[in-house]
Amino acid sequence: MADNEVTLTIDDQTITVPKGTKVVDAAKTVGIEIPVFCYHEKLGSLGCCRMCLVEVEKMPKLMTACTMDVGPDMVVKTTTERVEKAQKGVLEFTLLNHPLDCPVCDKGGECPLQNNTFKYGPGDTRMDFQRANNLKAAPLSPVITLDRERCIACQRCTRYSEVIEQDRALVMLNRGFHNEVGTFNNEPYDTRFSGNVIDICPVGALTNTQFRFKARTWDLTNSDTLCAHCGCNCNMTLGVRTNKFMRIESRPNDYVDDGWICDKARWGYDFLESKNRIMEARTTLDGASKTLPVKDAAAQAANALKKIADEHGPGSIGFIGSPYGTNEELYLYQKLFRQQLGTNNIDHKVYAETPGLPIPHYDVSEIETSDLVLVIASDPTEELPILDLRIKKVVTRGNAKLAVLNDQSTLMDRYAHLSLRYDIGAAAQVFAALANTLAGEKGEVQDTGITGEQLNSLMDMLKSSKKTTIIYNPAALTGQSVDVLKHLLSEIGKISSMECGAIPAAPYTNAVGALDMGVLPNYYPGGVPLADAEAVKQQSGENSPLEAGLSAMEMIEKANSGELKALLVHRANPVVDFPGSKKIADALKKLDLLIVHDMLETETSQLAGIVLPSNGPGHDDGTTTNIGGRVQFRKGGLKTTNAPDWKIISMMAKTLGDETDYITSFSVTDEIAKMVPGYGDISKKSIKKMGLARTAAQYQNGTKPDSAKSQPAKSDGLKLRIASYLFAHDKILDADSRLAHQFKPSTVHLHEDDAKKLGLKNGDDVIVVSGDTQVRAEVEISGKCNPGGVVLPRISDEQGVLGLAGADGISSVEIRKA
Amino acid sequence: MTQILFKDINKKDLHTLAVYEETGGYKSLKKAFAKEPDEIIEMVKASGLRGRGGAGFPCGLKWSFLAKDVFPRYLCCNADESEPGTCKDRELLLKNPHLLIEGMILCSYACRIETGYIYLRGEFYDLCEIMEKALEEAYAKGYLGKNILGSGFDLDIHTHLGAGAYICGEESALLNSLEGMRGEPRMKPPFPAVQGLYAKPTVINNVETLCVVPYIVNEGAEKYAAIGTEKSKGTKLVSVSGHVKKPANYEVVLGTPVREIIYDMAGGMRDDNQLKAFIPGGSSVPMLRADQVDTPYDYESLQAAGSMLGSGALIVLDHTVNVVETSLRLVSFYMHESCGKCTPCREGTRWMWQILHQIQTGKGEAAHVEELLDICDNMSFKCFCPLGDAAVAPVASSIQNFRADYEELLQRMTANTV
Ligand SMILES: Cc1cc2nc3c(=O)[nH]c(=O)nc-3n(C[C@H](O)[C@H](O)[C@H](O)COP(=O)(O)O)c2cc1C
Ligand code: SF4
Ligand code: SF4
Ligand code: SF4
Ligand code: FES
Repeated sequence: MADNEVTLTIDDQTITVPKGTKVVDAAKTVGIEIPVFCYHEKLGSLGCCRMCLVEVEKMPKLMTACTMDVGPDMVVKTTTERVEKAQKGVLEFTLLNHPLDCPVCDKGGECPLQNNTFKYGPGDTRMDFQRANNLKAAPLSPVITLDRERCIACQRCTRYSEVIEQDRALVMLNRGFHNEVGTFNNEPYDTRFSGNVIDICPVGALTNTQFRFKARTWDLTNSDTLCAHCGCNCNMTLGVRTNKFMRIESRPNDYVDDGWICDKARWGYDFLESKNRIMEARTTLDGASKTLPVKDAAAQAANALKKIADEHGPGSIGFIGSPYGTNEELYLYQKLFRQQLGTNNIDHKVYAETPGLPIPHYDVSEIETSDLVLVIASDPTEELPILDLRIKKVVTRGNAKLAVLNDQSTLMDRYAHLSLRYDIGAAAQVFAALANTLAGEKGEVQDTGITGEQLNSLMDMLKSSKKTTIIYNPAALTGQSVDVLKHLLSEIGKISSMECGAIPAAPYTNAVGALDMGVLPNYYPGGVPLADAEAVKQQSGENSPLEAGLSAMEMIEKANSGELKALLVHRANPVVDFPGSKKIADALKKLDLLIVHDMLETETSQLAGIVLPSNGPGHDDGTTTNIGGRVQFRKGGLKTTNAPDWKIISMMAKTLGDETDYITSFSVTDEIAKMVPGYGDISKKSIKKMGLARTAAQYQNGTKPDSAKSQPAKSDGLKLRIASYLFAHDKILDADSRLAHQFKPSTVHLHEDDAKKLGLKNGDDVIVVSGDTQVRAEVEISGKCNPGGVVLPRISDEQGVLGLAGADGISSVEIRKA
Repeated sequence: MTQILFKDINKKDLHTLAVYEETGGYKSLKKAFAKEPDEIIEMVKASGLRGRGGAGFPCGLKWSFLAKDVFPRYLCCNADESEPGTCKDRELLLKNPHLLIEGMILCSYACRIETGYIYLRGEFYDLCEIMEKALEEAYAKGYLGKNILGSGFDLDIHTHLGAGAYICGEESALLNSLEGMRGEPRMKPPFPAVQGLYAKPTVINNVETLCVVPYIVNEGAEKYAAIGTEKSKGTKLVSVSGHVKKPANYEVVLGTPVREIIYDMAGGMRDDNQLKAFIPGGSSVPMLRADQVDTPYDYESLQAAGSMLGSGALIVLDHTVNVVETSLRLVSFYMHESCGKCTPCREGTRWMWQILHQIQTGKGEAAHVEELLDICDNMSFKCFCPLGDAAVAPVASSIQNFRADYEELLQRMTANTV
């Protein structure tokens, strides 16, 4: 037995468990159930419900198994007469004023109170007084309704708010019999993660307003699936009844989500029933718009593309995919364009990330064993909420320190031991300076907004760490700064006293998968570079195109100049999401053929000659690869008569001569396993339970950046940083969204100095201008960025902030009073 | 009659520094500073002083439990005095605030503490002002602040008013309240000596406990240990209330028979009525019968008699009382003061109250008495903190000792319905 283990006896079974294990968890390891209400392994012990009383030899009182650490030679008994009487007693107290409206209770059938009563409770009650009455439907927020009568005051929800969210937004109010769950001043409890309290409430007190009284839990068909909204890929259960969406619940996977989902997962699926859905294929190729069978539309699209490629050369067509597509969709599309249409004009993004890392790609769970978390240009709270919880966990309850390097302040700063803010646009120079300092050379930080000492303290933190996880958001790194960052990562990797790894935390659901699947103009799947012709041919066949393709922004440019004739856009909306916005629409209008394959009508689909319906998450099966490189299966759940996306793509390929038959999405997964380096172990079986980490692609470009080139460009206006918000008012969260209360007003964050120069004050209505794009916003004078910059969060599609950005994401803006 | 805490208690203006010094106040500091801190702890251990807040834990031992070499450490003086019947700390705070300050300085020096808090119950608003004035005087005279009397020892003391919750007298709830959190007891372990206020090692002592320390330092541990019984050393302030002629606080040498306290000190029963019952240690301890009145007033004897010394509040009931009413009154207190954290106390106190109320108003049922006893059993030692057990004490002991009182009320009910 190791030093850190303890052996004890529970109900005559001898168990050896790690020191510090609670008796209740030790019992679980040998299948002994000790009933609980307030205890939850992610929240730790509180000991308030008294449900878990057990007898411990040599202790005169009964003890709560949830608060008690195992001790050497401890003898625990969980079924003695004394214990049973205590359990009955506690349950009698718990039920004393409980309404027992099980017949209409959302929790009925999956209720710990029902279950514990059934197993351990008294068969009857001696309570002969009127039960206390209380509010049956107190709204805590637009999405959570509290039945005060059913609350058993276990404090799971309030402790979740305190321990997990680190907010103390939800608290116990009042005293004794009158205590109740509430908030300060009765304000709504509307954090980004509020819905988890519904799942952990051991009774039907906290209810999902959307699901309330909609169905009995045992009538639901539950799919074990994933959230499709961000790169975390949290696990969730989709409950369906008679093919109607009912509710979403968390489905713990410690490798991914640590047991939680954010509110966008729980309430961000209204789009499944949106009136804006594309349900039919349509074409305008023969004149007026008309609908046609999907199969015909797919054939028409394929033939039309082929025709243009034949006439004008393969370089005249292109594909813009989406970091929201599944691996199967992404893989099949790049295959179609490369193998059937002969072009490398394939891309999925407008930032400069490339496949592969110079240091290991860490799984999200590696954060838990790190002693330093370095967050670079990433705002987990707004971009990848569940990552925020994991960071807070290791910083507040684990042993990790947090360092933040960003051009905007974020909520993470509150937890950071060191928080450095560089000037907007100075990222590359700061990364280069840190890399040089680590390499023992001079690090130049002049005009970056941070000082040499600050850089040194960051270096000291790195050097005294035993294990560091670096989290960076490539999508927030403009220009080529991501290359410099990768060089920095390789320098950090050289610190011999430390293990380290990185998590490329682009906010999008399958950003990692899209890189891995080779939806890139210059890489084949698995990060195989075009430059390595031999490898390409070996992997994808002799006829694989080797000419470098156009990036997404280059395709737009060439569309504008008339060189690109046809474009297929899958699940993307360049008109709103690409830098330049309006210019993009103009360019797309010049194409001979625009095909859009999407789930919802967008500004882009409106311009399309052929529109193909995409089922998307909730309907289609597929795999996605999360920010930690973990591949998991995202099951559909709802049935539809429309073909899944992978099938539509396969129809197109077949039209052009491909002969592969795919039976299910897993047939494509199997091909991916065979064809994509790093995905060899991925199969239906291997990813079933917890998903499986794929092997990261080989890192290719290790060039040391030219420090002169990484100098920030001088410019007159204020440098713009567009911040991304997951809870933005877009196509997914439309005006009818249940999460509309999370929408924020358009706000431009200015530094005090700049505000003074411009004569602006808090709350002023202004127009942010770049070229001929104007965005209305309200001024907030905050320390969100250094002088000389502005932060403009992207809060809706309508706001049109991307119109302000230059093609490389960089831009300067002017601010005028409205 | 040995008087330690109340020696000069009624001296005019004792609450001022000048008068306090006349009575020998603050003399102990020089003596203490001449010794090593650990020596003071040893003295307090040797004196046999036990906590006067209710639990009676040996004071010196508690001080020696502080986590080694972890600083800062804190001292919290528990002046929440909310136990029904108890009002002895109040008299000390009102009339002799400097005695407490002197005691806190000694404790802090012994335990290497540089910050102390006096947690006063919310209703002690006026006492807080008196305390503040006394602190001001002590600072001005150099008894508090930096480098006290040239010893190199620093100490700051702050007052803090609670918001009126009995549970905040429980030491860990007190810490929560002091930190600005909800007044609910904390899980133990960790004990305050290891992780108390702001998760730092913390000493929590009752007002009276701390007030004894100057005597021990001045007169020596042996002298204190010579007072009282073998295991219950020294004197104890007893708040005598109820049906006596002279209800008041009395300083009693531990071991004095209860009879003497009631009949000699407090002047006997009102109207020379018959003694029926007494609660020896505040509302949280079981009540005893008149035939137990010769029990010596000390920790061990009261425990042997089936009760406890508790906070030292002797509540005396004469023969006019039906104890159902007493139980109802006390249970209604506990129902009101239950913090609500744990299920048995939150629900049980209210249920007991409902049943007792029913019986009291003549609507009880025969089965109710057994039911009450069973509820008591389901609560006792199953709650999160001792408040739940305290709520059980009056009910269980009143049924055990005076079942006839319950029967009388139940019969009245039967008579009513017939
Ligand atoms: C419900 C409850 C209320 C208490 N109230 C007080 C109080 O008002 N004053 C006090 O000194 N101790 C009170 N105590 C006891 C304290 O928890 C603690 O034991 C005491 O302050 C320690 O000081 P001592 O060792 O000097 O007695 C209370 C305990 C409980 C369980
Ligand atoms: S919470 Fe459970 S026990 Fe209570 S009404 Fe609902 S199903 Fe019944
Ligand atoms: S609402 Fe639910 S989780 Fe919150 S305290 Fe009540 S029973 Fe517990
Ligand atoms: S016994 Fe429980 S409910 Fe009662 S005061 Fe203590 S913790 Fe609060
Ligand atoms: S589960 Fe142990 S006290 Fe609630």
